[in-house]
Amino acid sequence: MNGRMWVMAAAGIFLLGSLVASGVLAARVQEAPQASVKSATATAPGQETPVALRPARERMAVHVLLGWVWLSIAVLLGLLRLRVREADRIFRMGLNRAAEKTPKGQGTDG
Amino acid sequence: MNVLRAWMEERLGLRAVTLFLEKKEVPRHKHTFLYYTGSSILLFLGIQIVTGVLLAFYYQPTLAEANASVVRIMTEMPLGWLVRSVHSWSATFMIAIVLVHLLGIAFTKAYRKPREATWVTGVLLLGASLAFGFTGYLLPWDELSLAATKVGTNLPKALPVVGAWLTQVMRAGEDVTGDTLSRFFIFHVSVLPLAIMACLGIHLFLVQRHGMSIPLEEERKGVKAPALPFWPNFAFREAGVWLVLLGLLITIAVVASPGIGPQADLMAPAPEGIKPEWYFLFMFQTLKLFPARVLGLNGELVAVLIMMAGMAALLLLPFIDNRPFERKGKVITVLAWAGLAYAVGMSIWSLL
Repeated sequence: MNGRMWVMAAAGIFLLGSLVASGVLAARVQEAPQASVKSATATAPGQETPVALRPARERMAVHVLLGWVWLSIAVLLGLLRLRVREADRIFRMGLNRAAEKTPKGQGTDG
Repeated sequence: MNVLRAWMEERLGLRAVTLFLEKKEVPRHKHTFLYYTGSSILLFLGIQIVTGVLLAFYYQPTLAEANASVVRIMTEMPLGWLVRSVHSWSATFMIAIVLVHLLGIAFTKAYRKPREATWVTGVLLLGASLAFGFTGYLLPWDELSLAATKVGTNLPKALPVVGAWLTQVMRAGEDVTGDTLSRFFIFHVSVLPLAIMACLGIHLFLVQRHGMSIPLEEERKGVKAPALPFWPNFAFREAGVWLVLLGLLITIAVVASPGIGPQADLMAPAPEGIKPEWYFLFMFQTLKLFPARVLGLNGELVAVLIMMAGMAALLLLPFIDNRPFERKGKVITVLAWAGLAYAVGMSIWSLL
């Protein structure tokens, strides 16, 4: 395994580990009684309503979602990189132009 | 699947579009990254539309309910705070990228013949984006937004003849009231979206019509710049940039979601520390520093006239600098750098 593979494996394990850990935490929070939203957001007059005071369950879910978002982005970026390399190779070899020039019905699998 | 494709093709004729995309080429040089900014603006505009529609389901543009409905969106609606945060942050991202896009075009002189109309529609789009920011700022109807809107709508008053009328049109009356809120809401959700769609349609058509411009320094090399097919080579790269921007947007929206201040009181004095959105800070600071009287004239009037002249110069830049593309245009480059330094410097000063 080369260096890049090690880095990718470590990043994958870290992301999956953090997802599992946050999932466990989320389950614990769900088991705990929730404070009512209204009481959590009640503010004195003249004070800003801060967004941070929202149910812990939702906060946790959002952080889990964020982890999934970045994991999905990492996977999609990896796939896109492969597609870009393939498309660039086809372009360098001029195969895209060759395909345009080939009249219909004259393909090799004809 | 093929039957469905044939049915669609027969009715929509999409093959012409795909053929165009297959033939479209993107020049490759050291400024290629600027080409990504245009599509990134579209990404954030799309996010603005989707999140804006979601917020509009619950927002109530009335004096009594505006602030309370935003509080409800943030606290009672499932993930409402996140939708609002994404809406607010994507506006910031969009305007930042619009500015980078505009500066990139100014520095590479891509506004010159035959792209004058593309530049003009682009500046109009910037104006519409700023108007979105200005009208959207009032909608939460909290103390700060009311005070900032009072300051902002008071500015045209300094203008002779049309000033008072303009302020009255913006405020829907003499002062900022519930009617102003309704007017700003209508502008925010219907007038400005229609205007932006019209300008965007023309802008995109012109971009496709003239193709992507190649910076002067690349043209001067005398060798044809290498190009990349738009589909799929450039489109996949663009998709990668979109994904990263999307990830950054969601992350920032989660960790730095905006709060909301107490409901605005029309009778209360303006609170301390009024600040507009970051993209208006340099104007705000300029007005603050301007003396009350300049050469016997009202200082505010002089400041507003200078700002209007600056905006007009920006809009008409291709007609001011209408030299052939081959000319370097150092004066415009120096002026663009000076304008950027002034805007950044004043904005930082305003925050200190």
